[in-house]
Amino acid sequence: MPSDSSSDNDDQNPNAIPSPNSDSMDLSLDAIENQLESISMTSQAETRSSNQEEEQLTIANGLLNEESRSEVVDEFEEELSNSNSKAELSSEVIMSSSSVWRYNNLEAEEAEAPSSPSSSGYAGERGSSNGTTSVADEDINDDSIRESGNPGGSSSQEQWVPRERDLNEDDASISWRKRKKHFFILSHSGKPIYARYGDEHKLAGFSATLQAIISFVENGGDRVKVVRAGKHQVVFLVKGPIYLVCISCTEEPYESLRGQLELLYGQMILILTKSLNRCFEKNPKFDMTPLLGGTDAVFSSLIHSFGWNPATFLHAYTCLPLAHATRQTAGAILQDITDSGILFAILMCRHKVISLCGAQKASLHPDDMLLLSNFVMSSESFRTSESFSPICLPRYNPMAFLYAYVHYFDVDTYLILLTTSSDAFYHLKDCRIRIEDVLLKSNVLSEVQRSMLDGGMHVEDLPIDPASRTGTMFSHPGQPRPATDSPDRIGDAFFGVGGPAGLWHFIYRSIYLDQYVSSEFSSPINSLRQKKRLFRAYQKLYASMHDKGIGPHKTQFRRDENYVLLCWVTEDFELYAAFDPLADKALAIKTCNRVCQWIKDVENENFLLGASPFSW
Amino acid sequence: MGCSSSVPDRNVGRIGGLNPENGGPNDAKNLKVKLVVLGSSGVGKSCIVLRFVRGQFDPTSKVTVGASFLSQTIALQDSTTVKFEIWDTAGQERYAALAPLYYRGAAVAIVVYDITNPESFAKAQYWIKELLKHGSPEIVMALVGNKADLHEKREVPVQDGIDCAEKNGMFFIETSAKTSDNINQLFEEIAKRLPRPDSS
Repeated sequence: MPSDSSSDNDDQNPNAIPSPNSDSMDLSLDAIENQLESISMTSQAETRSSNQEEEQLTIANGLLNEESRSEVVDEFEEELSNSNSKAELSSEVIMSSSSVWRYNNLEAEEAEAPSSPSSSGYAGERGSSNGTTSVADEDINDDSIRESGNPGGSSSQEQWVPRERDLNEDDASISWRKRKKHFFILSHSGKPIYARYGDEHKLAGFSATLQAIISFVENGGDRVKVVRAGKHQVVFLVKGPIYLVCISCTEEPYESLRGQLELLYGQMILILTKSLNRCFEKNPKFDMTPLLGGTDAVFSSLIHSFGWNPATFLHAYTCLPLAHATRQTAGAILQDITDSGILFAILMCRHKVISLCGAQKASLHPDDMLLLSNFVMSSESFRTSESFSPICLPRYNPMAFLYAYVHYFDVDTYLILLTTSSDAFYHLKDCRIRIEDVLLKSNVLSEVQRSMLDGGMHVEDLPIDPASRTGTMFSHPGQPRPATDSPDRIGDAFFGVGGPAGLWHFIYRSIYLDQYVSSEFSSPINSLRQKKRLFRAYQKLYASMHDKGIGPHKTQFRRDENYVLLCWVTEDFELYAAFDPLADKALAIKTCNRVCQWIKDVENENFLLGASPFSW
Repeated sequence: MGCSSSVPDRNVGRIGGLNPENGGPNDAKNLKVKLVVLGSSGVGKSCIVLRFVRGQFDPTSKVTVGASFLSQTIALQDSTTVKFEIWDTAGQERYAALAPLYYRGAAVAIVVYDITNPESFAKAQYWIKELLKHGSPEIVMALVGNKADLHEKREVPVQDGIDCAEKNGMFFIETSAKTSDNINQLFEEIAKRLPRPDSS
């Protein structure tokens, strides 16, 4: 049986990834603290090593060009102190007013604010009393937890298998404290609503502590955004009577974690609508857990997707690669039935869109699509039979329920029809029969299965145009090469050797279309751990490109011990590409231009065109 | 397994709600009825339905979302056929307000509880009241005590079920979706009790 939590393995065990500077990071908590302090703000908080170079690129004539100047950033030249003393730990609290409170003694601070009689905060922060560093402790224990808890450990990223939570865990358990990434939802009165690990009810004391922190700061007329303590970030999000908190030591940027809390809140709204606020108006001590009964899998699958699905930070959806005619056939029948009073018709294969259609003037936000498809895929009962269920699209109308008809055509492919009418089931069922007829007659479903096997764009297939070697940045419009033209490839079994110029992977996001296309993973990004590391690198890159304080940026070239990462943002698209760390910069830039051209050449297969008023 | 009875034959009511638009006239030999399954979460509503419709039992619990729609036709000894259009509703509290959507116009309601769980029996009584108050007056109701295979863990006595059913004019049976005990009997008994349209 495939393990559900290969990514959780990572979460629990980040230090297992060897990196040149991990030794120095492990030396002491002080070292980590120094690192944190020397980094001005979140966006810079990458694990930079001194050999990393960051270079400025400029854009000329719509092409990506290398500027001659380059600077080597050496923020970590300052020596990391090697003391084992834990008393020097400092933490910062960042408020919305951007004031920073510093505590030079975390022990003292912990004893004061965040600890309650029942929960004493994070033991992992403070180290053990016998003088060994707590980081080393965690390493050992995490390995044992991982091995006992998740045998197997080699599942596809997208496969998520629901599992029973360990409800015996609570904030006093060592295993609970070792978890790398916690999510909590609680009410403004401090009642637990959801916890990723452990039993919510046993975490009542811990929830009350979180609530106390939030209201303490609010009473001062401010708002707490994040607390940094050692390797941990505690990120807060307040949504009326609902408080969401993430406690993480995964080194993800604050913006990413906050975005994840927003999605978690959206998922709850999708299940209950925002009218849940009224329950709290009537009774501030309202217990919401019964209302969310049976939705554990929905939340844990969403949290899992924060570690592999680029849609969670790109705010865009992705399409299953299909021949243009095939997608048009599917689109036509969906259009046909939406004319009969259906709000949205969505045909999907796992998390990828085959086609979708909305009633006039109704537009579907990519985040809503992410939450909806997560809800459908993680609720097993939808696979058993056709279903009719109320759901809310938070970006469409957070106050009202829509009614969703859900039907699986095969194990991966499903149809969602949304309507405002609670009586429409039989009409939707008839629509589904019509759609199924067309899809079967025109072989759309078998094309979908074939595309699943073939995969999408492979970096090895990037057309090599000799003309591009002659100094011009722009390769000629090459021969269109359909992405699906690779019959000898069988899904995950295939691993390429990387693309030209050391290109390993790319993600291209079309801004007008709200869609992205991501290349298939290729050697050496084979293992889950490598995929997740690249995912996190993209996530950081995205956050730094969209940082409101120091951005927005147009280009970024970043070299570290793992990759060369190149990002290029224009009005039309964003390109994120990963190369071999030894890749030549000029060649990498040329290659990015080629990738963009290639994507344009095959856009018919990889994007749903005409889904928005814009077209490029 | 207890079995008790009472409901006299009445006419099938069809009023509003989630009812087939093109239901077609019921003739005396081929009945088509809307059936709703109600009860708290985890009592085995979906398991009963899937056992009846597909002959399957899946011990991994899959929480129903909203309501699932399935249909199954059975033939009776008098050569009539009955097509059940089954609304298998979610037991979660958040869907309680939607129940009328599914039971409105239903000809049959099956109220399920778990014999090892007294709370689910209390919830069953709530659903019975609700159906008597808001359901169609001609509705055929069955009270089902499920998980009868777990008799060592029984907490709701058979007699309690029988008494409750008798008081409310229902048909009572204990079933086990796991062993398939009494599942077909349940639906056959319901089919027998259905009012027959006048054959002209």
